[in-house]
Amino acid sequence: MKKGDAFTVKELPQDLRESLPAVYVDDLLVSLKYFIDEKQSHLKIKDHAVCARCQYKPCLDFCPVSVYTLGHDGKIQVAYQACVECGSCRVGCPYQNIEWTLPRGGFGVAYKFG
Amino acid sequence: MSNNDGKIRFDAIVVGAGLAGSAAAIVMARAGLNVALIERGQKAGAKNYFGGAIYTHAIGEVLPDYMDRRPPFERPVTEAGFWMLSKDGALTRLTVQGGKLASQPADAYMTSRALFDAWWAEQAQQAGALLIPKTTVLDVIRDGSGQVIGVTTDRAQGDVYAPVVIVCEGVNNLLTQKLGLIDHDLEPTHIALAFKQVIALPMDTIHARFGLSDDQQGIAASVLGDVSLGLPGMGFVYTNKTSISVGLGMMLDAVIEYRLKPYEVLQRYLRHPAIAPLVKGGQLLEYGAHLIPEGGYRDMPRLYTGGAMVAGDAASMVNALHWEGTNMAIIAGKVAAETAIEAHKRGDFSSATLAQYEECLKERFILQDMKQYRNFARFLETHPAFMDTYPSFINEALEQFFSAYGQPKKQLFKNIMGSLTSRRQFLKAVGDLLSMGRAVMGW
Repeated sequence: MKKGDAFTVKELPQDLRESLPAVYVDDLLVSLKYFIDEKQSHLKIKDHAVCARCQYKPCLDFCPVSVYTLGHDGKIQVAYQACVECGSCRVGCPYQNIEWTLPRGGFGVAYKFG
Repeated sequence: MSNNDGKIRFDAIVVGAGLAGSAAAIVMARAGLNVALIERGQKAGAKNYFGGAIYTHAIGEVLPDYMDRRPPFERPVTEAGFWMLSKDGALTRLTVQGGKLASQPADAYMTSRALFDAWWAEQAQQAGALLIPKTTVLDVIRDGSGQVIGVTTDRAQGDVYAPVVIVCEGVNNLLTQKLGLIDHDLEPTHIALAFKQVIALPMDTIHARFGLSDDQQGIAASVLGDVSLGLPGMGFVYTNKTSISVGLGMMLDAVIEYRLKPYEVLQRYLRHPAIAPLVKGGQLLEYGAHLIPEGGYRDMPRLYTGGAMVAGDAASMVNALHWEGTNMAIIAGKVAAETAIEAHKRGDFSSATLAQYEECLKERFILQDMKQYRNFARFLETHPAFMDTYPSFINEALEQFFSAYGQPKKQLFKNIMGSLTSRRQFLKAVGDLLSMGRAVMGW
């Protein structure tokens, strides 16, 4: 996978793309238990100007719990409360533009099954 | 646990109460060491995740009487193998059951990590280790010579000291990087993103749908074919007592580059004509996602430095082909603990003493397997056909073989060859097999 400005996307064959059903991710998130840190986010965008320059914004798709969404102002919004701390964005952001830390002790996702 | 300089001191610190961490804590505490087992979750297991099934040989090596301690096992794995899905809904099962898989206790049991890891950490507590939950380790503390002598945590006055620290922090290897044992993040090309749903079903329904006679029978299947959109990846199905665990792992770079939403890929898989009847009417108990470090031997960090060792996912101890990792984590945790015990005997925690950890892992299957499979991660990258093209071919070949078309059989074998060569040139297929042999045998 190429990083930075060299990052580029690939296309699935159209029939496969169309075979993907739309999913309302909140229907999945209600199954998860969280201890939400109301005081601080453990995820931060380092520099929004970098996101503005990022052509494909893959974080909007690949995050398995859809933490990253595009706000009305065109800025990436971070719903850290939904994060399951998998680390995909930490290594997957093509610009390494996400400051990823562990939630404070006791906070974040608490899997019931895992 | 503290002495007159006011510092909190232990004989050993373990970071992370997962499979490796609690194994290390059990072994050290049983040898009489004062052990701090630091866990960032509300309780042990809160952050941990797998398919999955766990192997008993490793648990038994740490706690020979584990069965008497009532581990929260679900069903034993009495049937295991591959399922191959085709696009038109066909399913080929290549599974083994009975024989060795019927032995008691079983080689592997389905379980939930949130429950199993809590039990596993409890065994460490019973052995005398102090479990410190809700505490995130931020960094290591070194003395003037660079020797690791403790960790800083996010608790007030949260510095904890010990002459040896065993880092079992999991796939997000932040401390391992701070220790200087590896100088980079793992690449998305070498990491699988796994995501699954745990789906509740009545026990009788599970028995009927999976052909099981009681709750002492269970299936663990790796699912190939029309699962991961022709991209490197693999599905899985595990049967618990009153739920099933269905999900898939895909290489993270493919998820990113193809702009896939993991939950959509999972939903597509759950709607496959061969999978949908298995999950029908079930209730979602939990969705989740986790990374698996599948880069293998070449992605492993250095395993020790003065005063510290690293074990489990943090050290990329995963054999992607055989779905092993939990067993390596447990045994690596145990071996690291034995090394720490020896270091205490010698009163020497230098890297020269801790080198014993790596030497012992070389004697075991862990480093031997990791080394033998060192090319396997790259092999899958370059040969996605094994997860998609060939499974769909096998489906079609078997369909043709077992259908009566009213045609001469000469035509049948031509057709079967045709369904292979329409997918992949014959010579390329032979080449694929040879490279697979090389990747697996480590030639």
